Amino acid sequence: MNNKAIQWLYGELPGLVSRGVLTPDADSRLRAHYGPAEAERPARLAIIVFGVLGALLIGAGIILVLAHNWEDLSRPVRVVLSFLPLALAQGLAAWTLVKRTESLAWREGAGALLFLMIGASISLVAQTYNISGDLPGFLLTWSLLGLPVVYLLGAVMPALLYVWGITEWACHIRFEDGFSAGYWLLAALLLPRLAAWLRTDRYQVRPTLLMWAGCISVTIAAGVTIERVLPGLWIILYAGLFALMFLAGEFWFSEAEGFWSRPLRHFGAAGVLVLSFLFTFEWPWHAIGWNYWHWQRIHDSVWRSIPDAVLGSVIPLAAIALLVTTLRRKSPLGLIFGLVPIIATLGYCLSSLTGTYAPAAGLFDIYLFAAGLWLLVTGIQVNQQGQMNVGLLTISALILARFFDSDLNFLLRGLIFIGLGIAFLTANLMMLRRKGVNHEQA
Amino acid sequence: MNKRNLILLGFVMTVLAQLAVPAWMIFERERTLREGEVFKFKTQPVDPADAFRGRYVWLRLEPDTVPVPGASAWSYRQKAFAVLGSGTNGYAMVKRLERTKPVGEPALKVRVNWSDGKNTHISWEGLDRYYMMEDKAPAAETAYREHNRATNQNCYITVRVRGSMGVIENLYIENQPIQTWLREHKK
Repeated sequence: MNNKAIQWLYGELPGLVSRGVLTPDADSRLRAHYGPAEAERPARLAIIVFGVLGALLIGAGIILVLAHNWEDLSRPVRVVLSFLPLALAQGLAAWTLVKRTESLAWREGAGALLFLMIGASISLVAQTYNISGDLPGFLLTWSLLGLPVVYLLGAVMPALLYVWGITEWACHIRFEDGFSAGYWLLAALLLPRLAAWLRTDRYQVRPTLLMWAGCISVTIAAGVTIERVLPGLWIILYAGLFALMFLAGEFWFSEAEGFWSRPLRHFGAAGVLVLSFLFTFEWPWHAIGWNYWHWQRIHDSVWRSIPDAVLGSVIPLAAIALLVTTLRRKSPLGLIFGLVPIIATLGYCLSSLTGTYAPAAGLFDIYLFAAGLWLLVTGIQVNQQGQMNVGLLTISALILARFFDSDLNFLLRGLIFIGLGIAFLTANLMMLRRKGVNHEQA
Repeated sequence: MNKRNLILLGFVMTVLAQLAVPAWMIFERERTLREGEVFKFKTQPVDPADAFRGRYVWLRLEPDTVPVPGASAWSYRQKAFAVLGSGTNGYAMVKRLERTKPVGEPALKVRVNWSDGKNTHISWEGLDRYYMMEDKAPAAETAYREHNRATNQNCYITVRVRGSMGVIENLYIENQPIQTWLREHKK
């Protein structure tokens, strides 16, 4: 159980005991079972945030000062100067490890500074010797040299910088028509750290932040690491990826509270809905499937199609495996979002076989409408205003998109806008009124 | 070994690796500047800015076309090695393009852009920047443009080449180092 829930339970216990619902013995057994609840310490969090912010500002400042380029200094002086910021940051990290190892604020601040100074040092040497060009090489060296800092200091800031570094690297490699699938190996190097954090407490800030960054990074990387040998493979890959994120978040992080503490669930859900909306249009389904193989790419280097085969099969299959678990757990929300890779594969096969876009787009029209309606109705039933609005927004987007596709006059379009606006206002007012009644009854 | 000592040992190794990368970069370049063969490349400066590395003069090196027989054998953006020699005018010339690093001859990495049947157009990898102070790099470009119109003088860089590594020594305008030339041509 997460810390907030334990705190809530401990707040309730005295009242329950005094009203005779629980015996004092049960009270003490519950406390023994759940252990002490750590009090929230906002001051500590503020120190960490300001520590990291300070380190980032100092780091960015040093990079800018170095960028000024002191050409009047001799080369040996510049060589010494290029090591100076790195050595200082290493000294600070060493001091933190020895003297302040318990302080998360020091670890995060020193870790972020050290990571940035590695880049500053290499950049200054590059500037001194007029080294240019190889930006991906620079990003990769920088990221790999910063990776051990994540493990040694147990800090999330260097981990976030590492995620940024490898994502940038994959994008640049792709831009230069290189082989960017190495991204997945580089990303996997962070997994032991993430797993260790999750084992300690899966709802703490550090793994949550890393998972948000990971969701964004993986979404970008999935697009830049496939080689586009089989046109339209991205449809199945992304459908699988977002469904996998949602289902993993739904199953393994179900006790988290609040929007920000559930990155996998919310990023995955948003991904599924946006993607499904895009799939209701014509363009994703054009010229896709096995009739349009890029033979030239396969001919040039057949091994480059391996990531396509692996990513395009493993991710959707993993999502479908989790979907089976969903059926066992009887989670309707999991079923709704988890169905996407299957529908996407079906749409893909339909488009490839028939060479038309209408059946696949129509399939997603039906899916999105059903999903939106379900979210809307259940949102109203269980008093979840957020869920209700997501459902309403989904249906509205779908209706607007279809009506703009067709050649309707302005009057009818205007009436549709007004109708949807009234639906939003009425639903929200009803929900607020009902919540007010519930609150008064309580 | 307990966990704390293991972490400290890991930290020492990380620190050494982090220092070793810039140190190796410096060692390689210093060696090239000391032992490399000197080549003069004609160039034109144009100044952009780089978020990480301050301001620099962007160089467009010549020759950017190479008379390679069977030029159509090269594909767009293909990596190649340009084997260097000195022309009769004292500037560097490309003897030939190779797919692999030639042994015993100075050669620099290039990218093949396009080919018109007789000539192959190339861009020089890693020799396109000359770093200057923030305010001087644009000044150098402006001054060069103005004087170039008036006098049509030449501008070149000297590069030390050892194996396939090239390090820029200096940027010259009218046979003067850019720093001296800028001082003399201050408005």
